[in-house]
Amino acid sequence: MLKCTINGKEVEVKEGTSIIEAFREHSEDIAHYCWHPGLSVAGVCRLCMVEIEGNPRLQIACNTPVTDGMVVTNQSEMVKDAVKWGLDFHLINHPLDCPICDQAGECGLQDQYMKFGQYDSEMGQAKVKKKKVVDLGEKIVLDTERCILCSRCVRFTEEVSKTNELGIFNRGDHSEIGTYAGKPLNNDYAVNTVDICPVGALTSKDFRFRQRVWFLKDKPSVCTGCSTGCSVDVYYNKEGMWRVKPRHSEVNGYWMCDEGREIYKSTNVMTTDFVGERGSAKAVKKENRLTQAIHINAGDKNYKTATESLNSLKEKLDSYSKAALVVTGQYTSEEYDALLGFWKSQFGTDNVYHWANNEAQFNDFDGLLIRGDKNPNTKGLLQALEKHGITAKKDVTSLSDQDLVVVAGPENQWVYDDIHVIAKALASNKKVIWMSACHVDAAEQAGGHFHFIPTKTFAEKSGTFVNFDGREQSFEAVDLFVDQALSLTEAVALLKGESVELSETNKVISVSNEFVHERGQL
Amino acid sequence: MSVIRVQRPKMSRSWYLPGILSGMGLTFSTMIKNLFNQKKMATLNYPEEKYQYSARFKGNHVLTVKEDGDIRCTACMLCATACPADCITIVASEDEDPSVEKYPINYEIDMLRCVFCGYCEEACPVDAIRMGPEWQTPGENGDNFVYDIKHLAYRANLNDGKGVPSVVEDKDRHKLGI
Amino acid sequence: MEVKLLTEHYSDDNYRTLEGYKAKGGYEDLAKAFKMKPEDIISEVKASGLRGRGGAGFPTGVKWGFLPNNGETRYLLCNADEGEPCTFKDRMMMERAPHQLIEGMIISAFAVNSPKSYIYIRGEYVYATRVIEKALKEAYDAGLLGKNIMGSGFDHDMDVYVGAGAYICGEETGMISSLEGKKGQPKLKPPFPAVQGYLKKPTIVNNVETLAAVKYIIRDGAEAYKKHGTEKSTGTKLFSVAGDVNKPGNYEVPLGYPMIDLINNECGGMKNGKKLKAAIPGGTSAPILNAEEVERATLDYECLAEMGSMLGSGSIVIMDETRCMVDMLKVIAHFYHHESCGQCTPCREGTGWLHKLVSGVVNGTAQVSDIDLLCEVANKMKGRTICALSDAAALPVLGIVPKFRDEFQFFIEQGYSKVQGRANA
Repeated sequence: MLKCTINGKEVEVKEGTSIIEAFREHSEDIAHYCWHPGLSVAGVCRLCMVEIEGNPRLQIACNTPVTDGMVVTNQSEMVKDAVKWGLDFHLINHPLDCPICDQAGECGLQDQYMKFGQYDSEMGQAKVKKKKVVDLGEKIVLDTERCILCSRCVRFTEEVSKTNELGIFNRGDHSEIGTYAGKPLNNDYAVNTVDICPVGALTSKDFRFRQRVWFLKDKPSVCTGCSTGCSVDVYYNKEGMWRVKPRHSEVNGYWMCDEGREIYKSTNVMTTDFVGERGSAKAVKKENRLTQAIHINAGDKNYKTATESLNSLKEKLDSYSKAALVVTGQYTSEEYDALLGFWKSQFGTDNVYHWANNEAQFNDFDGLLIRGDKNPNTKGLLQALEKHGITAKKDVTSLSDQDLVVVAGPENQWVYDDIHVIAKALASNKKVIWMSACHVDAAEQAGGHFHFIPTKTFAEKSGTFVNFDGREQSFEAVDLFVDQALSLTEAVALLKGESVELSETNKVISVSNEFVHERGQL
Repeated sequence: MSVIRVQRPKMSRSWYLPGILSGMGLTFSTMIKNLFNQKKMATLNYPEEKYQYSARFKGNHVLTVKEDGDIRCTACMLCATACPADCITIVASEDEDPSVEKYPINYEIDMLRCVFCGYCEEACPVDAIRMGPEWQTPGENGDNFVYDIKHLAYRANLNDGKGVPSVVEDKDRHKLGI
Repeated sequence: MEVKLLTEHYSDDNYRTLEGYKAKGGYEDLAKAFKMKPEDIISEVKASGLRGRGGAGFPTGVKWGFLPNNGETRYLLCNADEGEPCTFKDRMMMERAPHQLIEGMIISAFAVNSPKSYIYIRGEYVYATRVIEKALKEAYDAGLLGKNIMGSGFDHDMDVYVGAGAYICGEETGMISSLEGKKGQPKLKPPFPAVQGYLKKPTIVNNVETLAAVKYIIRDGAEAYKKHGTEKSTGTKLFSVAGDVNKPGNYEVPLGYPMIDLINNECGGMKNGKKLKAAIPGGTSAPILNAEEVERATLDYECLAEMGSMLGSGSIVIMDETRCMVDMLKVIAHFYHHESCGQCTPCREGTGWLHKLVSGVVNGTAQVSDIDLLCEVANKMKGRTICALSDAAALPVLGIVPKFRDEFQFFIEQGYSKVQGRANA
């Protein structure tokens, strides 16, 4: 351990810590753009200037290791002046189109200007104009004018994704980020570059222009995209969820894959598509979530509340002699425990099926984060099955002539390629209760007696996921988007005849705009 | 405990006769004045006659248009952010022109929620929304008061349905650096 | 008085061939060096007080001493990317005496025990490249390069690498990046190249003149070499004199030589008998000296540093009374704006800003307050970047503007140059 003094505070840090890490460890504010804890040191933004006692020149904190007895400050007038001018240099060619910039509200330049700048710019000359709206690939759009050339994205593709799509072209104030010819930025982790971009130069096509970030709140959660279980922050407001960003943890470091960023789509009640050209363009909305229980009888759809539907099922439960349960790995451990416990006491342990979508690829791994098992809690399901002494069968398509089949269906349906096959196979049974968060088009079209019960998505319930190496990760509910949705635990409680207190979504027609001032992080 | 004696008005006052008479006197004298000198009349024969408000009157909103007739708004949502009544709803989309980048495909103002404070006008960085002189807005039901983007920009009584041009044009705006 | 060590045989056309070079005693010093121990060569160079001739003036022997003893391959790089405006001393050396450089490099490589060296030549020096390549071939054919040089058991390979003409590749780490095949951008220090340089191996980067001077230190011995020059600035130095003098060109004088003598004696005085107005002593990145300072200045590291300027690469630009300083600064600012690599923000944005500000003075869009802003911006760029390009861009501004403020003010207020008048506006 090394002893040093940071802004007058005596602290101890580990050997090899850089000054900027020491500052952040001891929660001292320090301006920076190019330094990122998950990337190598570039030392190009020249903002993390500090004054070290005994050194007449200012040093950059990111590339200077702490030595024993070092006295460092970034509160001196010299440092403040250097940071102020550093910011001015960053801003002189920055277009300042904050009103249409998606990053506004969580922008490094805005934040640091408010913290360390607050001066009047002295730049009276014309700014350098560069290309706007450059398409970098399927997921990302670049605005070279807004770019401050911190090189974080370039280092990300060099060091983390190791795909090297990005580079800095030209020299001086004409430098700009770009992709090499014929090599678009389409790797599986590309959207991380948008997260680490301290300004609005890189924007994700999926989130671009959908919301202003100050209308969004964020809460921590766990990604349901695969069995890695990355820690994420989800961003939501009263209209639904809008995006998912990685949160630093031991599981995933600072990153997450692009596939995992899609998980928010299963939680939204409506999906919006833009159709038509300018002038006549329209936002077309389609219902995505199940908002009520649906019974399909000979093509007719009847709607009931979920509670009513389960209550009527409860009364008939004892009349079913042949019953089967189909479970997927997309629910929490607590739900499995409740469901399997109830099933065991009601119907025994014979007819329980584990619907695994692509079991052959379960052990695939891309070397960074993405795993082949696209269910967040397969391990938790196996643990629950073992706990209740159930040996699950695998061949779901062989299910036929059952009086009752209960399906705990997948939440992220797009990873279940065989959903059509299974839905068709199950249609031959007398009655199928399909629990699902979203509409199951395949089952709705398959014919047969399907009953759909809306369930909660990961964002609406709290619980535990067990990831691929057995790490238990609990998470809290974010918000309720569909007021009739039930968790499996609640559904089981209803079937047992217990009373369940259902929370309701906020039914106020319009609430005042909510602002979140502290958002995002560099 | 004490008793407060209240001075009751005298008979002549308690009948309110003087007040009534002086009031009627005013009414009649005004009526006679108006009968013989209609020009100085303080009231208007609404709806046949209408009052001309000053040009700065903050009435119904107008979305301004550019030279080419497109809506000026860039869908930055600062008006929606500033709006204390939360009556502005914008859906933004991507424009093919990179210099425009973002434009609203939907811009709705719920006039019945609007408090006509003018914050939207002040918040707008590109002079895209203004409070117009129009104040007469009858409607049959609530839906008539949710103005959509077409109505806000191109309603018939605005410059013959061509929309109101904004004060600053794009090329000048770029020159001015705003 | 000129002292000719490096430039002694420049006028001999044959000197650039191996035959001609050997006739004047070429490669004898290499044989002498092979008889010495490498450590002795390093201590000899240290004792001679030889300082880097590329611009920074860092003691060469000390630099060589930084190499870690970890058994890793060491590289010797010769910095022939002579990008500083108005400097042409290295080019002359490569064109007139290529073997002198090669010999100096082999001696240096032997001293630092490097098996491989590169000569990084600036892209514009096409002729110099051809001459060096030819000389290298001759040296290989004569067994002066390759395996077991002159029977000493020392193996050494030498290659030429031609840059693309970026000024920034004259900075040692920028040059290393370029040599590695990357974009020529300076690297963060620490680690210094002597510890982790080319291909992350210990690397020594020296200027052409420095490496050639090593030969003469071995030939004459450190003591004899030290006799030239002053106590702290030893030896001779090549000066490329350009501008308004009668005989511009390369001159080798001992360090500490009075600048005014160089102008009046060696260079034959001012052109057309005009008055001296100012001189830049060490390439455009060195702050300017006015006529009065030139009278006092001696050409050594200490005196010029004291005057707030620097010896730099030793390219002297002489300006007479008809030269407009605003124009001069605009040219310089444009150069640095064009050459900034764009890595560090203060330099990337600052060089452009300086250029725009000075252009504003010339175009008539500037205000008087812009003069102070110019100095302020330059001040804030100074010493805040990875390499010294930012300083190089800021120093001429900080030199010229305060010393010739009246010219700037006049230009802004009147809209034409004070010295050149309305006709040239």
